[in-house]
Amino acid sequence: MVKDVLCPFCGSLCDDIRVEIEDGLIVKVRGACKLGASKIKGHDRIKAPMVRKNGDLVETTYQEAYDRAAQILLESKRPLLYGWCSTICEAHKKGILLAEEVAGVIDSTATVCHGPSIIGIEEKGLAGSTLGQVKNRADLIIFWGSNPSEAHPRHALRYSSNAKGRFTEDGRKGRKVIVVDVRETKTSKNADKFLLIKPGSDYEIISALRMMVNGKGDVVPDTVAGVAKSALEEVAEMAKSAKFGALFFGLGLTHSRGRYKNIDNALSLVRDLNVHTKFMVMPMRGHYNVTGFGQVCAWETGYPMSVDFSRGAPYFNPGETAACDVLGNKEADALMAIAADPASNFPWKVVERMAEIPVIQIDPFENPTTLLADVVIPSAVAGVEVEGTAYRMDGLSLRMKKLVDSTSPSDQEIVSNIIESVRWLGHDN
Amino acid sequence: MRYIKILPLQTFEVPIEAENICPDVFADLTLSQIGNLEVWEGNRKKIISDLFQVSGDDVLTSTKDTLVVLDGDFSRVKRIGENMTAGTIEAKGDLGMHAGNNMTGGSLQVEGSAGSWLGREMRGGLIVVKGNAGDYVGSGSRGEACGMRGGDIRIEGSTGDYLGEHMCGGSIMVNGDGGDFPGASNRGGFIVIGGDAYLPGAEMASGSIVVKGKARVLPSYQYQGLVGFQGMTLNKYLGDLADNGKGNVYAASIDVE
Amino acid sequence: MIIKGGIVYDPANDILGEEMDLCIENGKIVEDTKEGEVIDARGLLIMPGGVDGHAHIAGAKVNNGRIMRPEDSRQYVEPRTKLLRPCTGYTVPNCYAIGYRYARMGYTMAFEAATPILEARHTHEELEEIPIVDKGALTLFGDNWEVFDCVREGDMDKLAAFVSWGLRASRGYGVKVVNPGGGECWGYGGNVSALDDTVPNFDVTPREIIRGLTTANEMLKLPHSIHLHTNNLGKPGNYATTLETLEAVKDIIPSRDRQVVHITHMQFSAYGGTGWPDFKSEAPAIADYFNKHDHATMDMGQLIFGSATTMTADAPLEYNNARLLHAAQWSNHDVELEGSSGVVPLLYLRQSPVNAVQWAIGLELALLTESPWKVVMTTDHPNGGPFVNYPEVIALLMSAPKRDEEMATLHPWVSSRAILATVDREMDWGEVAVMTRAGPAKILGLENKGHLGSGADADVTIIGVKPHEIDPSKDHHKIKEAFSRVKYTIKDGQVVVRDGEVVAVPQGRTYWVDASVPLKQAERLQVDLAEKFAKYYSIQQSNYMVQDAYVTNPEVIEAEGF
Repeated sequence: MVKDVLCPFCGSLCDDIRVEIEDGLIVKVRGACKLGASKIKGHDRIKAPMVRKNGDLVETTYQEAYDRAAQILLESKRPLLYGWCSTICEAHKKGILLAEEVAGVIDSTATVCHGPSIIGIEEKGLAGSTLGQVKNRADLIIFWGSNPSEAHPRHALRYSSNAKGRFTEDGRKGRKVIVVDVRETKTSKNADKFLLIKPGSDYEIISALRMMVNGKGDVVPDTVAGVAKSALEEVAEMAKSAKFGALFFGLGLTHSRGRYKNIDNALSLVRDLNVHTKFMVMPMRGHYNVTGFGQVCAWETGYPMSVDFSRGAPYFNPGETAACDVLGNKEADALMAIAADPASNFPWKVVERMAEIPVIQIDPFENPTTLLADVVIPSAVAGVEVEGTAYRMDGLSLRMKKLVDSTSPSDQEIVSNIIESVRWLGHDN
Repeated sequence: MRYIKILPLQTFEVPIEAENICPDVFADLTLSQIGNLEVWEGNRKKIISDLFQVSGDDVLTSTKDTLVVLDGDFSRVKRIGENMTAGTIEAKGDLGMHAGNNMTGGSLQVEGSAGSWLGREMRGGLIVVKGNAGDYVGSGSRGEACGMRGGDIRIEGSTGDYLGEHMCGGSIMVNGDGGDFPGASNRGGFIVIGGDAYLPGAEMASGSIVVKGKARVLPSYQYQGLVGFQGMTLNKYLGDLADNGKGNVYAASIDVE
Repeated sequence: MIIKGGIVYDPANDILGEEMDLCIENGKIVEDTKEGEVIDARGLLIMPGGVDGHAHIAGAKVNNGRIMRPEDSRQYVEPRTKLLRPCTGYTVPNCYAIGYRYARMGYTMAFEAATPILEARHTHEELEEIPIVDKGALTLFGDNWEVFDCVREGDMDKLAAFVSWGLRASRGYGVKVVNPGGGECWGYGGNVSALDDTVPNFDVTPREIIRGLTTANEMLKLPHSIHLHTNNLGKPGNYATTLETLEAVKDIIPSRDRQVVHITHMQFSAYGGTGWPDFKSEAPAIADYFNKHDHATMDMGQLIFGSATTMTADAPLEYNNARLLHAAQWSNHDVELEGSSGVVPLLYLRQSPVNAVQWAIGLELALLTESPWKVVMTTDHPNGGPFVNYPEVIALLMSAPKRDEEMATLHPWVSSRAILATVDREMDWGEVAVMTRAGPAKILGLENKGHLGSGADADVTIIGVKPHEIDPSKDHHKIKEAFSRVKYTIKDGQVVVRDGEVVAVPQGRTYWVDASVPLKQAERLQVDLAEKFAKYYSIQQSNYMVQDAYVTNPEVIEAEGF
């Protein structure tokens, strides 16, 4: 039985999982939610490296796969290295080096997730804290456009609405939970107050709340995007009178009309609340190490995502250099997808482009991206078969354990080997 | 007027970065020297004559009297006219992203449509687009306090979103629609939108935004009454009060619910 | 390697401008060597490699600064070369820029100023990525729940055991204390404003925290003293708190031949007046205290005009900065059980009355304190300004005419609210070598750094000026230029910079301190820790400590402990 195992699934990065191992195989996972348990137990793996020959994927050696990948990247004039969210920082570092060497673009799944949050932070900064601060102090939790009951199942108990800490010994009973969403969810059903808003109206609702928090509520009309002013006043009052408030937001805010402006305004709201009381805000990061990629990329390049190395120095301009941009605008002429499944998660226009260009896939598992891949390289599962670093949604870094061996190389080994092949085959720029 | 024509030799897929296509850069160079200027195709360093045909007058003149004509599809050519101080660029078709970045003078005319970040951080000069423009017209770079500070941009079609974000000065006129969040975080400048706009002036500190079509106005804006403008009657609003702003949004009609 | 004919300033060994050869073998300074490269340094200025005792160069708040400031990363961009990774940024440079730029200035060691134990892993990940320089990280203890509990109970044994454990958990070099008590109050939006304020829920005062940690520091016989960012930093009139703080520990005997307290970025803590309208410098009062007492040292925290990014574990200060300056961006990060931090980008302006006085204060502190051994040259990077401006500070210290030139461009308050204009003193080469090399090494307890005696690490800077021919007072431009891109930087006997260009990128060592404590105390401590992890932390204790994988090139300094 291995204790204190980190779960390699969502941004909650729970570190109290217990795993039973027998004869080098995982037999039982205890303490994790269903999503995490499933990831740790694992499922069908890609058996061997493959390259596409005459339309079919044919098994090959790792070295051939590395060389073929290197060749694709070297021939490309705008390669995109994308994904990274489900692997460890040690692989991210290699990935950034590879992007530099092939003068390409590197981006993480933030492009379809919390990329807008990053842009919001660039406008306003982030008034945040570690999750334990919320557990120990928060008497008001707001979930906005986020449904942790389904997407981050243990968040409530470990860190937020139901957590018990030093100044919060009554747990859920000592707190108020507000949910703001466009439809009822499992999370909203357990809230003290549910604010139902229309899709795309987040920005206006936040502006109205800010006016009320700032003492200018009389300017706000009687309804805002169909929501009664009185309902908003109630929320503003609850927020102002909290001792320690925490606002968690998810894709409901990042993906709806306004995108990064929504986050921008939410960050301003929290800043306005800090005039009256203590308030913090946190994006509910989806994958367990998308935060880690942002951290590594920032300290290595100065920017947390969407970095373009075409001209030898990092260039950052989401809207132009994000993965969805370079694929959607048909700029990228080669794609390396690692530890993510772009074919499943990207808009159709973007997936279309993937079908037109050479695709290298590095992943333990088959998924829709495999159907579009020209080179497939199976990797070990980080956090289960490979130890290394991951960053929780609050920016806290922890070390994931290796539980069992794998016949596949780790992501960082694979990327290192591709770098070797790239150097060997030469670069003509 | 010295006339220089640039014609693409192929259809571009991977974007081209051509900040050297600029009257300031061309003025002191012969056509042959222009052909040798650095230009980037994705991550490949090239020279202009690898990708374009350069023709026209070979007599050097001042920047002001240099006319660069872009003949063909430049929709994937970025950074044209960057840092230009004088002279004229005429694009016969579409133009790529970042055209007229940091412009301080001269004139950029686009017959077709222009890509995103047109006139980014512009300080002077004139940009006219007959077609549409993308997102972030006249805006700033990420993190920069100011976008456009001066000059004039005129779009005859519609624009994408975030028109004039972080604008500090200058003017932008759009005949068509102005997209989502025009004039966001503005601290000056004058925007006129012929069609509709969604939540203009979010977080505006100062400046004016006129919407001749329909505007969805933020709840943090305060109605001030009716005013006349160019023969129209407009609803005047003060905001963005959420940020103690003192800007004005004028809208012909209001989108409620 | 033999460095021939240089004019050596090695104040720790009383060498002040002697023409001599330096011999290096196996990465150390030796008396004599027969082999190796010969560097002709005839007539050129030679000093030990620079030691930066306080800079914010690695960790969560530094990275938050990078993430929130893409516009900063667009400055000073250097594309990759065959040898070097790309560089970006001015106030929040990327890791590679940090290493290369220190090396180009002749610095061979730098300390990250403030690391929360819980997030030390992140700090080390970044330190690992900084090339060339040796490094260390100071660990935050001043707002820690376990520290509070030990201090309240007067249990110094357990406190010392915790400090030892905390240094090991964070692979830290020393004890950092920032606005003690304030970080905890900030958990509910409050702060402390006096040494004897009580921290709610914990019943301890800043004075008790400071004295407790000082005592524990000396019980453990750590190489460095406590490293203290005073309460009320940044507030007009705070010099009184600073003096009170200095008095509060003067009776505690240091366990080594050094200070018992190091006050960091003193410029921010030397303010007079009662508010901004009557703001003035009280650097003379502080310098006077330092001239009359030997138990304390300080570093300058010099202001540099232009862009800065303030980042500190004094989170309430940052919040107030943001409100006062109507800053567009404000970031905050509380760390459970361990305090908090904030980040606010700023612009220091020559025509700002307050900034002009702040600029003068840093210089007054250095010039009015008689002994340069008590004052380390820093800018509290990037709070006062980025470290790449150290040559500017050196030139200001060495040249009164340069100071006059600068003052002529500043707001008149520089003359009416500060006395710098009346200060004629110009530091000489020996004093500069103390303030940037020998002094910080001694203050930090680094035996093999900051000097060029036998056995020292062969970290050497050869600067492209001839001290016997140049007049720093008049030719301060040349001084600044020469220190910006030195002729040679030698690290562990290897040439890493030549003519201002980085030519080699070895990995530096990470220094951390391992202090022993009696088993009984360690066990008593574990009882407390087990409870805190079970009830309050959001992670398991077994996942808390920094693992070996994050410090791949360690230099472990043993402290005798108790």
